[in-house]
Amino acid sequence: MVKKINQDEFKTIDKSGVSVLDFNATWCGPCKMLAPVLEEVSEDFAGKANFYSIDTDDNPDLAREYGIMNIPAIVVLKDGEKVDMNVGFVPKEALSDFVSKNL
Amino acid sequence: MERFDIAIIGTGPAGLEAAITAKVRNKTVLLLGNKGSSDKVSKAHTIQNYLGLPNVSGEDMSKAFLAHATSMGIEITEDKVNAVYSMGKYFAIQCHSGDYEASSVIVAAGMTTMKPFPGEMEFLGRGVSYCATCDAALYKGKTAIIIAYSAADEEEAEFLAERAQKVYYLPQYEYAGNLGGNIEVTCDVKPDSIAYTEGRAYLATDKDTYTADGIFILREQIAPSQLVPGLQMDGNHIGVDRSMATNIKGLFACGDITGAPYQYIKAAGEGNVAALSAVSYLNELKKATE
Repeated sequence: MVKKINQDEFKTIDKSGVSVLDFNATWCGPCKMLAPVLEEVSEDFAGKANFYSIDTDDNPDLAREYGIMNIPAIVVLKDGEKVDMNVGFVPKEALSDFVSKNL
Repeated sequence: MERFDIAIIGTGPAGLEAAITAKVRNKTVLLLGNKGSSDKVSKAHTIQNYLGLPNVSGEDMSKAFLAHATSMGIEITEDKVNAVYSMGKYFAIQCHSGDYEASSVIVAAGMTTMKPFPGEMEFLGRGVSYCATCDAALYKGKTAIIIAYSAADEEEAEFLAERAQKVYYLPQYEYAGNLGGNIEVTCDVKPDSIAYTEGRAYLATDKDTYTADGIFILREQIAPSQLVPGLQMDGNHIGVDRSMATNIKGLFACGDITGAPYQYIKAAGEGNVAALSAVSYLNELKKATE
């Protein structure tokens, strides 16, 4: 499951282990396409990583903090530290590979 | 939304032959392209080696191709494809005037002559972007450079300028627009290369060097790897095997876009193979879901 959160909630979530952040916006076409793909991937990685969706329009501070200049952007955190980032739409297999290589 | 069996992008010999073969195999086809086939065909002087059409002019060849397709009830949808997304079991095809869905896709869009600027691919997604409307929100209070290739991009510039503090607009076409306000238009500037350091993007040109928070390149032609995110390239061409399959399941490519020789009959032949491979894929897909 991909959980939609805002920047205040982000401060309070448990960041131990692997977290996958999806930075998006409602009017961004590729973001909309990526959302269902990420949802499927999140099911495959249930229990191994936590998935969050962040609207960059509503949460500009968080987007700035992670240096997001283009969306969709998928950021992988390990124990709260940014370890990898992928920008743009990616097909499911490639997205799965991207997440699993960061586990 | 109707989900087509096969969406075909391109109406040159590869795309048309793929559509004809798909139709013979009783598949529903969405054929996206140009009602006049392809400029590369219709503008050719004479073609001497196309089987069954000796010494044919490009114009006549193009007419023969279109007549064949029309006689089989194949329609061409004139729309510009912005992106093809592999959604797992189907493809979402985003076009200028709407979205489509298909179970498989054949890319027969021809050879693109577009060359990225030095630095462009390196900083793509990190300061370089192809979609101003996508990233506009991230430019609140920031500055951006737009390298534009058609008058249609002026709308994107305005959208970005509503959020950005300043937009430098560098038209690479005959500019006759009336952009103003915080958009600074400079004509006759040829971009050379792109660099990005410490959060600033730099565009070197034949005149000044421009700097901003990010650079947008709005080309009319999209490189195949941008058209289909995740697509594996082989140099400037789409990487395919003998069945015309790409690295993305259900997505095939044929014609000039797969590489030389750039011959009409080779393109048509590959179109035939791509369509038959798409048909096999559809059968597998059907079996898997039954």
